[in-house]
Amino acid sequence: MQRIPVTERPNLANAAAEHELEYSAGKGVTGWDESAYYQFTPQQIEEDIEGPAEELEDLCLQVVDRAVENEEVLSRLGIAEPFWDYIAQSWRNGEKNLYGRMDLSYNADGPAKLLEYNADTPTALYETAVFQWEWLEQATEQKLIPEGCDQLNDVHDSIVQAFPHMGIVDVAHFACNHDIEDDKGTLDYLEECAREAGIDTCSLAMADIGSDDQGRFTDLDERAITTLVKLYPWEWIMAEDFGRLVPASGVHFIEPPWKMILANKGLLPLLWGMFEGHPNLLPAFFEDDPAASTLAETGSYVHKPMLSRQGANIEIVDDGKTLLNTDGPYGDDAHILQGYHPLKKFDGGYPLIGCWMVASKAVGLCIREDKTLITGKEARFVPHVIQG
Amino acid sequence: MKSWSSKSAALMVSVSLLALTACEEPKVDAFVFESLDQCKSDPLASSDQCDSSFAEAQTQHATVAPKYSSAADCQADFGTDKCEEAPYKTSNGGSVFMPLMMGYMMGSMMGGRGGMMSQPLYKSAQSPNSFRTAENQNVGSKTGGTKVARSATNRPTFKSSTRSRGGFGSSGSRFGSAAT
Repeated sequence: MQRIPVTERPNLANAAAEHELEYSAGKGVTGWDESAYYQFTPQQIEEDIEGPAEELEDLCLQVVDRAVENEEVLSRLGIAEPFWDYIAQSWRNGEKNLYGRMDLSYNADGPAKLLEYNADTPTALYETAVFQWEWLEQATEQKLIPEGCDQLNDVHDSIVQAFPHMGIVDVAHFACNHDIEDDKGTLDYLEECAREAGIDTCSLAMADIGSDDQGRFTDLDERAITTLVKLYPWEWIMAEDFGRLVPASGVHFIEPPWKMILANKGLLPLLWGMFEGHPNLLPAFFEDDPAASTLAETGSYVHKPMLSRQGANIEIVDDGKTLLNTDGPYGDDAHILQGYHPLKKFDGGYPLIGCWMVASKAVGLCIREDKTLITGKEARFVPHVIQG
Repeated sequence: MKSWSSKSAALMVSVSLLALTACEEPKVDAFVFESLDQCKSDPLASSDQCDSSFAEAQTQHATVAPKYSSAADCQADFGTDKCEEAPYKTSNGGSVFMPLMMGYMMGSMMGGRGGMMSQPLYKSAQSPNSFRTAENQNVGSKTGGTKVARSATNRPTFKSSTRSRGGFGSSGSRFGSAAT
């Protein structure tokens, strides 16, 4: 794994415009950096990332299988009682999962470690599947990078192939917060994939969803929603006014309800509890678990809210001292403690390896570099290549 | 309440990358009739198919037709005397209104889509000559054998009468992006 400086494509401004990405001269594309790329060997990709990610996926599904039957666990994850049976049913019914992104700490110097699983509302999907792939094609054509480079990037085709198996009947509705461009862009892309798969779609804002007398959810044309592909976290859905109507609404959600167990950072102590010592896991404990003190006493750990986004409210403690502490709106929630496995510093920052899972297969790679050890909103996407 | 004419605004704007435009949608053969008698007098349609398709469309009518909680709203979209009471009540016992079924569409044996599900058709006050599906897709004014956009032959969905909106979205306004 190497970080290699490279010339930006001369057509970058045009490429950005074509993909409706924000571009400014001097700063380039917002959230994107192609002044360098990461190069991996096929072995690193297959043995250190792809293989372990699929193994982790399997462990995660085993955690779900056990968690849905355990009220104490569901309660500990902060899930309210009215949803316990609903979540368990979604698992027992075999509701299909579409996508997610595992965030790994990896620098080719030992096994990749799972930092968290963005299993419910992952973004950077379009950048991974489309923009990054186009970069590879054009950079090869323009001879900016050596010939014959590849990418772990079967994201687009995998999503298109997964959609027909998602159990969608009639129209699939796509909903998110339309005020957030990034969220809307990601969801629009997913919608395009669904259409490419031959599915009829309709998009609307979460705030525009209605509720009728029979407890069904409706769109702005008074159609009852049967399938809702949402880019809106389950914990928000459950907490909002219409949340109580969800279990009886008959709506088929993508991602399915059981996915919220994986999107919760409480997943990490649950994984450690079942598979302690696994090479791709870090020790992790619920903060209120007496066992957490053994990790705290080492003086090196990461303190994370069970539900937080984009690196908010994370504290890194090393050598007994707070090394880094981010702000955010999630500080009041319950926390976990996780072993500290710092991202390695390369020129340009600390790369976090995101491995895209589609229908439980590892199909794509996304590297985001932040100036700090905590990958947040300022992180920039850096493309990767596989070179044999 | 819903507006029949605002539907086009809700049509999704697709990202530019994967051009998939509605105007390129393939057309399929179908039959459009305004009554059962008209169907039976068409030499290309079999009397049995007319009967069964008409019955099927009539059965669907109450569930798939757009719904209104006031007769005036319904008439504004479909015209005076063009609405009827739906066999539903709102939660506080109020009446629900829907447009009259003005015709039906069925598969064409010739087009090889004989198995296509039939469905009721409506006419809006704004363009009373054209037939529209319950999904507000214009299928033209021609009766008998015709060509319609393939998506117009999809099974229409249940139409509801929404009691309230805005029960989702509050966390998004508070926390911002859902991104992880």
